[in-house]
Amino acid sequence: MSVKEIAKNDFTRFVGTLIRTEKVFGVQAKGDRFDFAPLESAQDLRLDYDVTLQPPKKYFLPPAEVLLTYQVGGPYQSQLDGQEFILLGVHPYDMVAINQMDELFQQDNYDTHYMTRRHNATIIACDVAKPSDHVFASSMGTAVVKKGYDILLTDIGDSFVAEAATPKGEQLLAKAKGAAADAQALKKREDIWARNKKSLNKHELKCDPAYLPKVLAKAYKHPVWEEKAKTCFSCGSCNQVCPTCYCFNVQDDVNWDLKTGQRLREWDGCLLDGFTKVAPAHEFRKARADRFRHRLYRKATYVPQKLGGQIACVGCGRCVGACLPDIANPVNIYNRLIDDLGIG
Amino acid sequence: MAKPKIAIFDFACCEGCQLQIVNLEEEILSLLGVADVVEWREAMSEKSDEYDIAIIEGSITRMEDEERLKRIRGCAKVLIALGACAMTGGVNKLKNNFEDFEEVKKCVYGKAAGKPHLRTAVTKAVGEVVQVDYAVPGCPIDGKEFTYIVRSLLMGKKPEIPDYPVCVECKANGNPCLWQYDQVCLGPIIRAGCGARCPSNGFRCFGCRGYVDNPNVDAAKDVINRFGLNLDDLKTKMVLFGSKQEPTIYE
Amino acid sequence: MCQCCAEKKDIYLPQLATVADISQMNVTEKYLRLALEDGQFDFIPGQFVEVSLSGIGEAPITISSSPTLGDSFELVVRKVGRVSSAIHNLQRGDKVGIRGPLGRGVYPVEECKGKNLVFICGGIGMVPQRSFIKYVLDNRNDYGDVAILQGTKSYDLRLFTSEIEAWGKRGDVQMLETLDEGDARWKGNVGVVTKLVSKVETDLKSAMILVCGPPIMYKFVLMALAEHEVSHQNIFLNLERKMKCGVGKCGHCQINNAYVCMSGPVFRYSDLASLPEAI
Repeated sequence: MSVKEIAKNDFTRFVGTLIRTEKVFGVQAKGDRFDFAPLESAQDLRLDYDVTLQPPKKYFLPPAEVLLTYQVGGPYQSQLDGQEFILLGVHPYDMVAINQMDELFQQDNYDTHYMTRRHNATIIACDVAKPSDHVFASSMGTAVVKKGYDILLTDIGDSFVAEAATPKGEQLLAKAKGAAADAQALKKREDIWARNKKSLNKHELKCDPAYLPKVLAKAYKHPVWEEKAKTCFSCGSCNQVCPTCYCFNVQDDVNWDLKTGQRLREWDGCLLDGFTKVAPAHEFRKARADRFRHRLYRKATYVPQKLGGQIACVGCGRCVGACLPDIANPVNIYNRLIDDLGIG
Repeated sequence: MAKPKIAIFDFACCEGCQLQIVNLEEEILSLLGVADVVEWREAMSEKSDEYDIAIIEGSITRMEDEERLKRIRGCAKVLIALGACAMTGGVNKLKNNFEDFEEVKKCVYGKAAGKPHLRTAVTKAVGEVVQVDYAVPGCPIDGKEFTYIVRSLLMGKKPEIPDYPVCVECKANGNPCLWQYDQVCLGPIIRAGCGARCPSNGFRCFGCRGYVDNPNVDAAKDVINRFGLNLDDLKTKMVLFGSKQEPTIYE
Repeated sequence: MCQCCAEKKDIYLPQLATVADISQMNVTEKYLRLALEDGQFDFIPGQFVEVSLSGIGEAPITISSSPTLGDSFELVVRKVGRVSSAIHNLQRGDKVGIRGPLGRGVYPVEECKGKNLVFICGGIGMVPQRSFIKYVLDNRNDYGDVAILQGTKSYDLRLFTSEIEAWGKRGDVQMLETLDEGDARWKGNVGVVTKLVSKVETDLKSAMILVCGPPIMYKFVLMALAEHEVSHQNIFLNLERKMKCGVGKCGHCQINNAYVCMSGPVFRYSDLASLPEAI
């Protein structure tokens, strides 16, 4: 696969070409923040962003989607989203999260709705140029990424190093003007990777993430859950902005003819009141503290068991910024447990 | 199956919720395809005492209103409280914060305060007078949610109204938290279902849909302290739609 | 568009089944028998189906009949939520959507062979247990002693009364029944189901114990079984949780790390030691 060096103005032209021929979602300014949105002009693309408000998860698992349509009392029809698209500017930690979701939606029972969107996507990842206020990807080992994308971009100053990783990426990259990256450019990229492995670390986890399940194995009854949950609104903001949260609810709605309708899938959150309620009298994880604990266990014990041990927190720091009472920061909680319980 | 008959009545309110229904335009025609609207003062002149579903807008602020409401309840198989005024008392409950209603009237109406049609009593939500089967929250109601509720009822299904806070929808819309932009937003304790309309347009949540079932008052106090605010700052934000409603954080 | 997905099975897509029989069992329970449009339906006792009523939603319901019934299956539904209420309004000939059978934690049909079995059922806990009970009775020679303990809140809530009566008369089943509340029409035991445990004639220590009932019941039944020193390996609990997708994705039914829809709904008690949220 090719590794090209593309001058910045040539890259802008390349993006312009993509926009003219494909559906492109790219990172853009939203007020004084950033988010993924349909890209209308190459000038709007902001690969110098720190973090997006929402993770790119929404392009594979939208906040609301139609799973099925039906006739009332009659047959059901699968609805798969057929639009191909390019996702431009995915940071390494978000790419790791997508790789994890890919595994989760394929294993045991293959989710065609998620996977159709995933297969329709061409992902152009890009290394982080500016760390966000709360990123701790260095701690989680997600500051750089080696798989999942079709093309990886690295800003090395006046140009980008662009490496194709799949035939789809190779084909796309062929449209960009640029020569094979030379040793100097590749060295610059190595330097950026080395830098990011250390510097995307506004919160520093006190152990290798691989030890977290061991720490949590001793922490189930630790007072931290009650302490933190005391000021938890159960608003689910931490779930909603998380690139690896994928719990959902399913609901039916009918059309005005009352004869046809849709079955919808919508984001849900394990922090929300009623998430486990089966009947008014039966709610299995009713205490705020239990729900609060569940999220932290999912990230560092439960989901990792499905992912060959990978921790399901990628250190994007979005939950830290989104939590109004400032209790969501996983690093604070895990560090507290490490301090109190050790890692052995 | 015969089309169910729907009647819409208004009490003390601005009629803005009914206006939301009128504003549905094409969807109203769809609604009329599956139900007969037999009384609706804002949109038609006919009247009827025969209906299956009564939709009540507004809160109850006079004794004679209570009698009228009970009559309506007696005729209806299903009664829906439409909007904040009907569901919780809404803005009209501001009045209940005062003890001397004569003073309040003078302040509001000036010289006209003594006119007989301005008689007033303690404001009640519809549910404080008669049994309410379903409620559509909001000031005004959200048209999409209203139509969903109506369709659900026509299907014989209890509509699913969220009991989680506005933050859920706000974050799903990709908004930054307005507290980070110096707004005292009530989103974390207010029931979602509006699609986080206000915060998505840059305005803090005013709390028109009422509290979630289990709001965390401790968390609210903590946040106020952390942002260097005091209880009064929050109180003034909650008084508009939260007057005399549980839970309060007034103490 | 990606073709590989279009050709794969949609895990959320129900297939149609016809209501072959439906009747009211008591104030809250409805019985229905369903037949899938394309016939064959293989399952293991303990498995459940997601029942879809288009426009209303989906609900997980454990199969109550034995696989030996043939090409249709039976459900018993308590009227509690949106879907179950709508199920109560169904008529013979109506169509419903079915996904399943779902759940990999099933009754230990093979492991129980040659062993003595004790079924402990609280209220509608009988409904899922019945699938295995009927299977055992249809293959009676494969199993040892069988005791069935049924506790019901009140006389009018009793389920499958004629079947229970017939089981009692078979001679090869010890059928014990009790009501929480006494009743002039009731001549039998009064009190909670745990009181029946000491009346079981078979040796509890060597028996396989199969338990299903409301969440509160498990604690007391397990205490009673502890008194008889029953090994946790030999106790199987059928646990209920909120389920939405039924296929291990949506997260609602999780008990710590276990998805009830995948690892359950029937769990070996010794496996629950690592799941503090279970009981």
